[in-house]
Parts: sequence; structure tokens; C-alpha cells
Amino acid sequence: MPKEDTQNLNSNLKRLAEITEWFDEQEEVDLEEGLKKVKEAVGLIKTSKFRLKEIENEFEEIKKEIDIENK
Amino acid sequence: MEDKIFTISEYINLINQGLKEFSAKIIGEVGEVNVWATGHVSFTLKDEKNKSVINCIIWKSRYELYGIELKEGNKIIASGYPEIWPLTGRLSFKAEVIEYAGEGILKKEYEKLKKKLTEEGIFEISRKRAIPTYPQKIGVITSLKGAVMADFSNNLGKFGFKVKIIDSRVEGQTAVVDLLSSIRTFRKENIEVLVIMRGGGSLETLQPFNNEMLVREVVNFPIPVIAAIGHDKDVPLVSLAADLEVSTPSIAAITISESWKEAILFLERLKISLQNFRNNLLNIRNDLNVFWQNSLIGFKGLLLRINQRLENAENIISANNPERQLKKGYSIASFGGKIIKSIKDAAIGKNIDLLVVDGTIISQVKNINPVRGYKGKIEVQNK
Repeated sequence: MPKEDTQNLNSNLKRLAEITEWFDEQEEVDLEEGLKKVKEAVGLIKTSKFRLKEIENEFEEIKKEIDIENK
Repeated sequence: MEDKIFTISEYINLINQGLKEFSAKIIGEVGEVNVWATGHVSFTLKDEKNKSVINCIIWKSRYELYGIELKEGNKIIASGYPEIWPLTGRLSFKAEVIEYAGEGILKKEYEKLKKKLTEEGIFEISRKRAIPTYPQKIGVITSLKGAVMADFSNNLGKFGFKVKIIDSRVEGQTAVVDLLSSIRTFRKENIEVLVIMRGGGSLETLQPFNNEMLVREVVNFPIPVIAAIGHDKDVPLVSLAADLEVSTPSIAAITISESWKEAILFLERLKISLQNFRNNLLNIRNDLNVFWQNSLIGFKGLLLRINQRLENAENIISANNPERQLKKGYSIASFGGKIIKSIKDAAIGKNIDLLVVDGTIISQVKNINPVRGYKGKIEVQNK
């Protein structure tokens, strides 16, 4: 459902923010944890970009419909 | 004198033709009254002052038409002419019209007839029919002499009316015949409302409108009747019997055209409402366009911000990816599981771990050379 997807995107962004913040705060590099977070972040970025593209496409479709109705 | 010899009947005819020139209205008190088997009525009229008497006769149809009671002592006016009745050789005044004389008796007879018709329910409001809305075909009975018709026309307005007019006498007892005939003519015409009208007048001049036969004709007329018969005190019985009674012909015209005026007013209001509605729709459409444009800008901005956030996250993650650093040739030295960031974290002779991209190198610290300033360099010996 679009609502859930949007929420996912939101939660993905939130999670990414947490991860980047985690990296900023680290004084000691926990390599294992760091690597885990990098992998998680890469996954989140991929999913989010994909979802963002979907949303953009959906938006373009709606825009086309509106443009046709306005003609 | 001519030599011609007339038969009696020829001579009576000759006299009678001459007598017609003596047409007159005569006033007198009714004396002896005889109703014949045929319904015709003979009566005498006598002069109040010197007791002069004249024989009169009225045919049944006329007698019934005017509703005047020929009763001894009643003062009447008879209109007609003298005539010799051939079978008797008697001279009689042939009354064509009879009416009561004097306001007193007129008022009395008016009240009497009014009471009778009221008891019959002739004037009941429940009997009255509504004047049709949006009428187009109007019948008018009035006298074309005078300003009545002009008043009516001026107030009717231009709504495509088709007005049929029958010119009728409206004053005096003789008008009854005209009025009855006009109404009966209109029975055959295709009209939607009938208006009977005249200007105001005294009880005497309005007498035809208190005629019983005329009242019944109005009540039984197949379509609604408007009476615009002016009056002083007593409302004419025809007005009481009509479906609508108005005081003047102008008001009758206004009443008839009222529904049309309202319709035009309604259409004008509707036109304005539709114009307003159209304007509202255009405004809403405009508002929606503005809203859409704003949404478009807002949404694009949102997409841009999200993209920026993702890119930002990507950069940070990429910069912090340990694998990327190790691939570049950097290694991470640790001692006892703790990353060596200072010479204080190492000790000579101790083994430390060096993490490189493809594994770990275990090394022994041979020497520690502090760097001038606050940082140090550790020399290591690989095992």
C-alpha cells in the first residue's frame, strides 16, 4: 500500500540518519558493527532510491492525468 | 288619404309599424297582473299622480330574463313600445325590458336575491376556482366605449397574450341580454380566463350585474371568471359569484400578468444565480490550479530534499566504510582488541594486530618513536 511504502521510506530515512549519526559519534571504530551498519545503510539507500523512483513515476502519471483534464 | 282599402289585420300592422316610433321608457306602479298559460304576462301600469293607466304585456322569455317580480304595488320602469293586439284590438305597451324603479326597492330586491343565492351556496369560497398561472388566451366582456379597455391593456403587459373582446353594453337593464349572449359566445371560444369588466356605478346602473340568470351563467361558466365591476357600497352579485373579484380593470390585468412577471423575475434571478455559479466554478478551478501548482512545487522540493538526504547518507556511509579505507592501503592497528591511536596504546615487545583488506598481520613492536609535537610513530616487526 502506498501509505505503508511512504512510511517505509520515512523510516528508512530516519534509520539512515541514525546510522550516519552513529558513524559521526564513534571514537572507537567497531569494525564489525561499522561494517554491519554500512551494509544496512547500503540496503536502505538502494530500497529508498527504488521507492523514490516509484513515487516519482506515480507522480508523473498523476500529473499527466491532471494536465489532460485541464486541457 | 289614399283610396286603398285595408283589411283589419293590414291596418293594424300599419298602425303597429307607426307605433314603434313611440318607443319609450315608462314608469309606473304595477296594477293588475295576469300570467297566461303560455307564461306571457299582462299587467297594468298606473300613474302615481293622476291614476292614468296603460295595459302592458311582456313575453315569458323577457319576463324570466330580468327576474323582476311583477307584483301589484311594485314601481317599475318598462322599456318598449305600444302595439295593438290583433285578436282583441286592444292597445298594449309591449315591454321588452323591465326593471325596478327607485333605490329602495332595488336595494330590497338585491338583498333578497343575495340571500337566496347565498343559501344555495353560490357565493361559497370553496366553489371558486384558481385563476390559472401563465394564461395566454383571455376573454374580455366589456364596453369598448370609455377608457376601461385601455386601462386593462396598459396594465396587461406584453407577455404574448391573445385577448378576445366582445363589446357589450354594461349599463342599465338592457345590458343583461348583451352580457348573457357574450358569456354564451365565450363558452365556445378557446380561452383560459374570462374577464367581465366595467367602470364603477350606482346600484341602479349596476343592475344588470345583479341579474340572477347572469349570476348563474357566471357560476356555471367552464373556466375561471374574473369580475372587475366597480361599485359603490353593494358588491354586484356577479362579482360575488365570480371566481375572483377585483375592484378595477387595471387590477384584473395585473392579476392575470402576475405569474408571467414572477416568471420573468425568476428567470432573471436564475440567470444571475447561474452566472454566480459559473464564476464560483471558475474560481474553484483557478484555486485548484493554484493548489496543484503549489503541490507540484512542494512535492518536487520534497523529492529533491529526500534525494539530497539519500546522497548525503551515501557519502557519509561511503566515507566511513572500513573496507574502502583498507582497500586504499590503510591498515588498522590494534592491541588487545583496542585500536591503537597513540604511542601510549602500544608497548615495545608486545604483539599488535594489523588489519588489512584481505586479513590480519600480527606484528611485534620493536621501537616507539615519539614525534615532536603530540603524535607518535610505532615501529613494528612482523612475525
